[in-house]
Amino acid sequence: MRRLRWLLVPVVVVPIGWLLFQGFDRDPRELASPLIERPAPAWSLTTLDGAVLSSDDLAGRPYLVNFWASWCVPACVDEHPVLAAAQERYGEQLTIVGVLYQDDPADARGFLDRYGDAGYDHVIDEDGTLAIDYGVTGPPETFFVDADGVVRHRQWGPLSEASMADQLAAILPAAAR
Amino acid sequence: MTRWLPAIAAGCLLALATIAVVATVRPAPPATPAARADALAAELRCPDCQGLSVADSPTSSAREIRRQIDELIAAGASDDEVRAHFVARYGEWIRLAPSGPALWLLPFGVVLAGVALLGAWLVRRRGEQPAQEPLSAEQRQRLHDEAEALDA
Repeated sequence: MRRLRWLLVPVVVVPIGWLLFQGFDRDPRELASPLIERPAPAWSLTTLDGAVLSSDDLAGRPYLVNFWASWCVPACVDEHPVLAAAQERYGEQLTIVGVLYQDDPADARGFLDRYGDAGYDHVIDEDGTLAIDYGVTGPPETFFVDADGVVRHRQWGPLSEASMADQLAAILPAAAR
Repeated sequence: MTRWLPAIAAGCLLALATIAVVATVRPAPPATPAARADALAAELRCPDCQGLSVADSPTSSAREIRRQIDELIAAGASDDEVRAHFVARYGEWIRLAPSGPALWLLPFGVVLAGVALLGAWLVRRRGEQPAQEPLSAEQRQRLHDEAEALDA
């Protein structure tokens, strides 16, 4: 009994230590989005080119909603070529929509001039309603929506080539290996 | 010490029961729409800040959330419906305080369990100490004799 008592110390301390170790390492914003497996939010916004684009226009096709900003460096700069490469590779099969997150449209145009415009549309989320509907905590954040209009994945932080390929496979038949 | 233990335990239980009652029977919500919106803004996390509430933050996300709270209240939404509106978008993370009294009571329960274990341990340790019996006349005499022998 006397020896068993000492066993109590690791039994109590080890799980608490493990929890703290796990917790310190993670950002709470990385928690799963409640939107996963739910219908994507609907919207209708003006693009940088002055046209009106709405989620209804994208019905029946898989699409990516990428929240970004010209002030989001280096993360948005790093992931920009990944988005451009996906658009170039899949063309008509995949729609990418950039959403300006708390950004000035002129600054966003400057960013695209500097780092390359991949040709997909960027919408101006003036009052931030779309960012709130998607539960965005900061750019870059990307949502993968399948052809049925259901959110399948949220990428928190910049996309890499690997994460892009993995998540596209879930919404785009052509990307599935 | 042992005599006081039941009184301490009763006191702790009473405190815990009081907290449970206060947690479940919350004071009535503020009446005016502006006061309700203020209270809700203080409960919700500003999404692009570090640990600030919507009420304490000047960012445009916080301003837009505040505007949506006002709009929802004006449309007749209850406080719970306003909370649910944002939880459906951000998850429980958007709430600065945990929901339900169970999570509030957990730390108090842990402290109480610790106090109870400490009390039980102290009581046991007291019981283990050998009792001090008075010396017999024979032992006294022997002590006296041996002390005398040392002095001699």
